[in-house]
Amino acid sequence: MKALPRSFKRALWVFHVATGSCNGCDIEIVAALTPRYDAERFGIMLTGTPRHADVLLVTGPVTRPMMPRLKRIYEQTPDPKAVVVVGGCGATSGVFYDSYNVVGPVDRIIPVDVYVPGCPARPEAILDGVVKAVAKLEGLERAGVTT
Amino acid sequence: MSGIDSGFGSWNPLAWALLFLGAGLVALGFRALGRSDRKRASEQGRAFLSGNEEPQESAALHVRGRHLYWGIVDGLAGYYRRAASLHTGIVNDYVAWFVVGLAAVCVILLGVG
Repeated sequence: MKALPRSFKRALWVFHVATGSCNGCDIEIVAALTPRYDAERFGIMLTGTPRHADVLLVTGPVTRPMMPRLKRIYEQTPDPKAVVVVGGCGATSGVFYDSYNVVGPVDRIIPVDVYVPGCPARPEAILDGVVKAVAKLEGLERAGVTT
Repeated sequence: MSGIDSGFGSWNPLAWALLFLGAGLVALGFRALGRSDRKRASEQGRAFLSGNEEPQESAALHVRGRHLYWGIVDGLAGYYRRAASLHTGIVNDYVAWFVVGLAAVCVILLGVG
């Protein structure tokens, strides 16, 4: 959390992509937005379209039908962007590893910047992951990476 | 240009024109704040449809009133297929169906009675 004070240059808009998760991680993402954890106090807000997003939060092991959609959503997100994988399924495909209908984990499909482990990941861990993504984004901005 | 003051309200075309001009300038100002460095030729230039590919055919983009009843029509497809073939639009056919139906009801009622 030390990166936070330097990371308040602007609000961070996050787009959530569920690629076949059991909804456990998705519920924890929602929990991170509740008053108990209150992610919005850091300027972190869920947005309804990747075209407005700085960060992609990806959950799930990536099922076969979701693969082209995940790629498309990643491409539609403007640069600089960061990808945060939430949960064990996105990181390793978890219990769905080598399943006939799973083509994940996520880093086989799109580049991943931050992994948040857990089954499901706790809201504090998700916030920590997003803050790490902020640091990554700031690095990209300093490097002048734009679309 | 003089306006009209009716006592209940006033109308001045020049004032409205200036208002629209001012609003247009404000809108252009907001537009200028947006980013112009997106890749228009890539996916970033296409509409976001929950990750789905943007349909190329205009028919696929057009949402008709019939789509609201898709679930019912699809669920009762067998019924609709038969009913649509019977639906000729000729009044004589409908009257014939009415007479046949009435006769069937009479037969049932008389038979049961």
